[in-house]
Amino acid sequence: MKRLLLVLLLLLAVPASAADRIPGDTDGDGVLASGEYASAVLAYLDTAYMGGAGDLDRDDIRDAAWVYARWDGKPREVVDSSGQTVTLYRPLRRVVTFSGESLETLRSLGFDMDRVVAVDKYSHEKSTFFPECQNKANVGSIWSPDMEKVISVQPDTVFLYATISTAACDDIQQRLEASSPGIRVLRFDCFKPATYADEIRTIASIVDETERGEEFASYYESTMDQIRDGTAGIPDDEKTRVYFEYWFDYTTVAASAGYNEKTELAGGKNPFAVGTAEYPVVDPEAILVADPEVVVKLAGQGLAVGGYAGHDPEALDAIRSALVERPGWSKISAVKDDRVHVIHSDILGGAQHFIGTAYLAKWFYPDRFADLDPHAVHQRYLTGFQGIDFDLASEGTFVYP
Amino acid sequence: MIGLPANRLCCLLLLFLFVPAVVCGAPVTRTLSTAEPGAGEVVTVSLSIDGIDLGGVVETLPAGYAFAGTDHPDDRVVVRGQKIGFAVMNETRITYSVTAPASGSGDITGTWEDFLGESEGEVAASHVAVDGIETAAESGGEKPAAQEAASPFAVLATVAALLIAGRGGRR
Repeated sequence: MKRLLLVLLLLLAVPASAADRIPGDTDGDGVLASGEYASAVLAYLDTAYMGGAGDLDRDDIRDAAWVYARWDGKPREVVDSSGQTVTLYRPLRRVVTFSGESLETLRSLGFDMDRVVAVDKYSHEKSTFFPECQNKANVGSIWSPDMEKVISVQPDTVFLYATISTAACDDIQQRLEASSPGIRVLRFDCFKPATYADEIRTIASIVDETERGEEFASYYESTMDQIRDGTAGIPDDEKTRVYFEYWFDYTTVAASAGYNEKTELAGGKNPFAVGTAEYPVVDPEAILVADPEVVVKLAGQGLAVGGYAGHDPEALDAIRSALVERPGWSKISAVKDDRVHVIHSDILGGAQHFIGTAYLAKWFYPDRFADLDPHAVHQRYLTGFQGIDFDLASEGTFVYP
Repeated sequence: MIGLPANRLCCLLLLFLFVPAVVCGAPVTRTLSTAEPGAGEVVTVSLSIDGIDLGGVVETLPAGYAFAGTDHPDDRVVVRGQKIGFAVMNETRITYSVTAPASGSGDITGTWEDFLGESEGEVAASHVAVDGIETAAESGGEKPAAQEAASPFAVLATVAALLIAGRGGRR
């Protein structure tokens, strides 16, 4: 019965997502010329208001106008972060995001969030950060996608990750492309320092918000460049030794982990970076031997306190207290010098990594980054780019102390 | 304005009070060369378009009134019965002509769409009557929502104006 329903949904979805030509491009040359556009408008008006019978509906003519005005009547080709070239014949009108980072980036770019028709389960759960998504469909996660739900909302575009969980994302893409010819599957990470600025600009181009995209990319780059410039030239043996602990006790991050990349960007030296495991468990004695100058503990999903979900500095204080009270830790430089910090993954793991990295840089090199104000960077991001009413002075807890 | 009696001034004042409330903020407004044409006379209708780069306007003429041409390019106009559709492509003004019948009155109504702004609405109705004589003739199209919303104001204005005019006339 369930399979039958899925087949039915597939059949229903195909026409809605067939987007392999520009509406009104009657000669099929791939360009919507002025005359073709005018004819399309008249055909639409005739159908909609004058008793005529044509094929173009309101979405068709609005999409045609968009392509004519903003893309010079031509399809737009984009290369996403997986390297695939995607040709857009229409603007994005019904979007599904399996990636909270892409969703957040779309909002940074001023994309009309009404056009996002479904989101992943994690974004759906973030009622404080994504309040507008609470009434949208929940399509599960990339590891457990609800394909029936995806198809039922008739998306024209689906966002997936580019370089992580590639097998799961490849599978979703294949199933979507098989069921809905013409659907656009776009793959971006939106959390990697090495590629995020380019991704901002590419997505801005897709949604035709290039000016806003440039503004946001520049804002992002100004913070990241300040961090890179501030740590440039520090000899390796003079870098701040950092023990970065993941959500789970005595679990750290190795070279392949994104958190290690941010630690190193901020000028930190991770004594446990070597090794193949992304999140290796370390011998408690090894931490004492490494004698870190700074300890950073990650709070978040696996240690669910603070973040956007709640203003709870006491909880982060408790985490910090538990760290410094560990056996032998009173002899660690970081504890002796009062340089043990807790940071929430909301500002270090995803699209907001530049905020968290700014905090790391400031903790690692307070003199070099005396002028860097991560709190102000964060607030401007929320107010100026995310457009949400969130006052960091009284809401959320992201770092301690 | 010279020589206008007080009651007429009051009528004008009422019109100024009510008419802008109906059309305020509308991206498409219509003006007529005359609202009381003679039989067979050509009325020039001007549509003023503000803030619509790419869109469309559909005008509906009262029964008996006939579309007689436009300054809009031919390939951007479609005519079907009493309805005329215009493709708007960055124009701020479209002018068209209507030939009045031997007799008859009604409303020219209209609908606009802004395709890029993704909005739509009604153009406020314009009343026409041959020689100013009202007839029972129906409008050529359905009564638009905006017109319905505007009607109580228009009726109020008309009644008030008639009352004042009537009182003025008895003096």
